[in-house]
Amino acid sequence: MVYYEIKKVFSKASSKMALALLVMLLLMISYFTLHDEEYVHSDGTVETGIVAVGRLREDRKKWSGELSEQQFAKVIEENAEINKAAGNQPVSALSQKQGFYDISTIINRAYTDFGKYDYTVIDSLIPADAKNVYPNRVTQLEEWLDTHAADGFSVQEKAYLMGQFKKLETPLSYEWSEGWQQFQSYSISLFTVMVFILGFLVAGIFSGESGLKADSIFFSTYHGRRQAILAKLVAGLLIGSGIYWVMVLLYSAIVFGFLGTDGADCMIQTSITGWMSSYNITFLQQYLITIAGGYIGIMFILLLMMFVSAKTRSTKFAVIIPFIVVMIPSVLAGIANSIPLVEKILGLLPDQLLNMCQLIQYFSLYRITGEITGSLNLLLPMYGILSLLLCPVIYQVYRRTEVK
Amino acid sequence: MELELEHVTKEFNDFKAVSDVSYTMHNGVYGLLGVNGAGKTTTMRMLCTLLKPSAGRITYDGRDIFEMDGEYRKMLGYLPQDFGYYPDFSVQDYLMYIASIKGLPSALAGKRVKELLGKVGLSKAKNKKMKKLSGGMKRRAGIAQAMLNDPRILILDEPTAGLDPNERIRFRNLISELSEDRMVLLSTHIVSDVEYIAGEILLMKDGEFAHSGTVYELTASIPDRVWNVKAAKTEVDTYMKQYKVANVKTVQEGVELRILSEQIPHPGAIQEEVCLEDVFLYYFGEKAGEEDGVL
Repeated sequence: MVYYEIKKVFSKASSKMALALLVMLLLMISYFTLHDEEYVHSDGTVETGIVAVGRLREDRKKWSGELSEQQFAKVIEENAEINKAAGNQPVSALSQKQGFYDISTIINRAYTDFGKYDYTVIDSLIPADAKNVYPNRVTQLEEWLDTHAADGFSVQEKAYLMGQFKKLETPLSYEWSEGWQQFQSYSISLFTVMVFILGFLVAGIFSGESGLKADSIFFSTYHGRRQAILAKLVAGLLIGSGIYWVMVLLYSAIVFGFLGTDGADCMIQTSITGWMSSYNITFLQQYLITIAGGYIGIMFILLLMMFVSAKTRSTKFAVIIPFIVVMIPSVLAGIANSIPLVEKILGLLPDQLLNMCQLIQYFSLYRITGEITGSLNLLLPMYGILSLLLCPVIYQVYRRTEVK
Repeated sequence: MELELEHVTKEFNDFKAVSDVSYTMHNGVYGLLGVNGAGKTTTMRMLCTLLKPSAGRITYDGRDIFEMDGEYRKMLGYLPQDFGYYPDFSVQDYLMYIASIKGLPSALAGKRVKELLGKVGLSKAKNKKMKKLSGGMKRRAGIAQAMLNDPRILILDEPTAGLDPNERIRFRNLISELSEDRMVLLSTHIVSDVEYIAGEILLMKDGEFAHSGTVYELTASIPDRVWNVKAAKTEVDTYMKQYKVANVKTVQEGVELRILSEQIPHPGAIQEEVCLEDVFLYYFGEKAGEEDGVL
């Protein structure tokens, strides 16, 4: 039964086209991911692609290791020397700074006000400032929490954030980690594309029977109100899971194949986006959370679509679900992001699961049974459970269908 | 085997599609006759557990068919009026899928599909996509799917709709052949479809079983007799207003009218044998000029 349910989906020409489109979009996303890497030669010429990746990787490997006070001081010193030698040739300086670019980014962030970034800050520092890089991270948060911008946080939440920041074990360890970082940057695009295309594929699994007027025969058969419904559900989940994991694995293989898996054990705080994160996790952990979040998020949205499809027996209604789930929160966030309650609600909507890499940067906190926790820790189990609960609901709703 | 409708009513909002219907069926062919909107399809859908009665109950050998759930549907074969299928499936795939949801083990399903494809004359078209089949071929695939589980109850809703005369005759013969040792309920508004093959005929009107019986019993039940009257073309309107006219045939001398009337409508009228179509006209037809006249 499951085989034929899957066959029903893929026997349609529109489904085959949707799959082809998904593969094309994956290749496009992969191209942009790899094309993002640029290497600047001393004469100012810019190289992109695999050769650029190779050169950057070589340069940055020289700066791998513990990000100790001495290492920061060395970067500040090297930066000053390059500036001095380059004189009025900034391109040449840029070329020479590529090796310690990631580390200089951390230093810049440590000496720029909270929530801001100034890439020239390092130019005004002296090696002695290196000792304040880690303490500044905590101080910046502390100062920001005292401003009106943080009025939405309770005392306990502020204490939680401070605790998380102080818990980060320093000195951090640095390695080239572009593979992990680039995967994160484009994962949102990949998941968004997937949710729409997978949604298109599974939207008609339940409603298709009435759309084709095949429901009379379907529901009058022995398994029509039993296993045949389970087969539909399993087919939907298999299509969603199968395509999701194939796409994620393909994308991972492409990204890590070209950019490497180096830096898996480095903390995300060694990247520009992760420096002020309250989640003390490694790049590998972030990757696993991101793909788990994407999977649970997409499965939940697909199950929601299957529920609408089973309840309304309309593919049109079902197919708009991803648009509602993905688009509406973004619009609402733009309109009402300053209202704490709205912000709290928006932070728990399923679109957040497709957006894990950005979520890691936000201070989105919730109190559960007296304990403060980040939304990341809530979203995965919450939508995992909701997805499991939706399965029997879909089954029961479809089982009770009357054919008028 | 006894399938019984006990005071069954089905309402949709304020509209009563089936009203307090009671009837018991056993093995044999039952023809359900009625004009469009009489409640035939709703009755059949309730018998197929697709709709729940608003009141009353349907039992199979004394057990409620909705409580029997899959156990009842395992014995059921159904060909709906709007036969829906999966357009991109081949005939073979379509039948194999239906066999799987009917609970046939795959080895038996393959054998049964092959056997039925032969029986309905679709063996050569088994790899054709369903959407490429002609109307008649689709209906044949429809009857094949209904027969896959060798059902004890076979319900066919307007099975000959849209078929050409040859296909209709072939279809009737096929149903006759399939009707041994099972109950077949056949709904139609084409009288000749049931006249030849149905043992028992149910006449349905306004959601009720108005009359039932064998062809002989039904033809004997009407007080009207059937007359053949030769008349001038100009007289047709007058006759149609005065009597129920079953047929008007243009001949060289004018027209020949087939009239239902207790009294001789014209001194030269010749009495003819009453057929089921006349019964249908007697119960469901109106004289010309009456509101909602159907003939």
